[in-house]
Amino acid sequence: MKILAMLWKEWLELRRERSLLVSLFLPPILLTLMPIGIMVALRNSPDEDTSKLGMALADPTLAGMNAIDLGQAVLGKQFSLLMLLTPVLLSGIIAAYSIVGEKTGRTLEPLLATPVKTWELLLAKCLTALIPSVTAAWASAALFAIGIGMTANSPRVVAAILSPAWTTVLIFCSPSLALIAIAMCVAISSRVNDPRTAQQITAVAIIPLMGVFFAQMAGVLVLNVPLALTAALVLAVIAAGSLWAAVQLFQRETILTRWK
Amino acid sequence: MFAIETHELTRRFGERIAVDKLTLQIPAGRVFGFLGPNGAGKTTTVRMLAGLIAPSSGTAHVAGCEIGRQSDAVRRAVGLLTETPGLYDKLTAQQNLVFFGQLYDLTRMAAIQQAHTYLQLLGLWERRDDLVGGFSKGMRQKLAIARALLHNPQVVFLDEPTSGLDPEAARTVRDSVRALRDQGRTVFLTTHNLNEVEELCDLVAVFRGRLVALGAPDELRTRLFGHGTIVRMAGAAAPWVTTAQALPFVRKADAYQDTLTVAIDDPERYNPELVRVLAAAGAPIRYVEALAHSLEDVYLELVGNPEERAQ
Repeated sequence: MKILAMLWKEWLELRRERSLLVSLFLPPILLTLMPIGIMVALRNSPDEDTSKLGMALADPTLAGMNAIDLGQAVLGKQFSLLMLLTPVLLSGIIAAYSIVGEKTGRTLEPLLATPVKTWELLLAKCLTALIPSVTAAWASAALFAIGIGMTANSPRVVAAILSPAWTTVLIFCSPSLALIAIAMCVAISSRVNDPRTAQQITAVAIIPLMGVFFAQMAGVLVLNVPLALTAALVLAVIAAGSLWAAVQLFQRETILTRWK
Repeated sequence: MFAIETHELTRRFGERIAVDKLTLQIPAGRVFGFLGPNGAGKTTTVRMLAGLIAPSSGTAHVAGCEIGRQSDAVRRAVGLLTETPGLYDKLTAQQNLVFFGQLYDLTRMAAIQQAHTYLQLLGLWERRDDLVGGFSKGMRQKLAIARALLHNPQVVFLDEPTSGLDPEAARTVRDSVRALRDQGRTVFLTTHNLNEVEELCDLVAVFRGRLVALGAPDELRTRLFGHGTIVRMAGAAAPWVTTAQALPFVRKADAYQDTLTVAIDDPERYNPELVRVLAAAGAPIRYVEALAHSLEDVYLELVGNPEERAQ
């Protein structure tokens, strides 16, 4: 009941925060439209050098492709991984606004004066950030998949980009990545006074993702279903640990007496 | 029965002691004025009593619940008007109240009903669907007061409730405080407006890190200044000082221009005799009045002299 009330309040506020909505919608739109545009461009002007990339040599699903297919597949696979940035970025933005916003709006004391429990408060804050960010990530991934289907040079390109490994990562890793970003944001927000500071520090959560991106491009890492499931499991454990730590760090009393 | 009862309640922040061994008992259904200079520890005290922060030592019971151990129950039993209204600017007045009502365990329907009641009572009904971001300071304050009362708390903490309000709105708030008392609820009023305290409070504490004084406003006045009578003369008062001082019940008599000030422990009993003796001696008495010290005099005397007078 209280959690639903808090979710309702948070979404009413988000809906009326236009600048925040722009920053929420822009990244998924760009991450969806950019690869589709480049796919169209590559179909008309293939890049012969793509075959020399480590990824093209290491990934068995790309073996034997012609220059156009290979160019589209390599680019599509990289962008498909970047789709995972969406839940991290969006959840960080919403969580920072939602938590630090209470501080800057001086609404925290009346809020903490109610009989709401810390876990209820944090769960509501987490769901406020998690639900729209994961929904946006999955929606933009669906649009991305449709766009790839429409612009791919051959069915092999579609199969290489929209692989079971990618789907597994998208479905199982996105929520965990978002939760890790939210947990970081909760922990950081307890100690800073500006939502932008919290967002910037939360952006650190992107670093492991960028590591996977570059490892895949270099051919060091080839994403497959067992690896995706292992990553999902590891991320779920990290997310649970991060949330636990965030709840421990969120000391109502300290926040109330130290926030100015 | 006491609505608020504290015993040596103490709160430290590192080395600094914000509240030092506060012991007081506030009966239910009273308006209690909590006075003190800025930085005296009033907000810390209110936060402890409202279940927001735990004491470092000592105990306190609010509405029968022990703070620190039953914080949720304490928070459920009290309403708190914080120093700043702390409302959500992107929500309407009604949405703010309904949201907080639900956090206080009201169903959505009950929260809406209570919101309607208080929006009408505090004159915000016409603006109920407007975003709070566009409200004046006074309107915000009224809405924050409505929020504090929404769940019918037994104890209400009001921090500067009439600050920033126009006279009419301030009157509405004071009437609401009286109504709360009439309903048997306890109001813990923190304010610098001493006229308001004089008008509303049954019991007053002056606090500066420690309890400096506690009592009914009249008790404090008497304790500090004693009782007295002022006799206005049609001419200089100095010739009648000796006559007054000769009376056994007069502790002290002073004259200044046409005014004779006489300190008497029980004016109601001895004033007729004082007037009779002065008149018989030929004093040209114009009128007689009670020596009245304002609560401001009491407060300034106490805060200017931190020596404890409480117990």
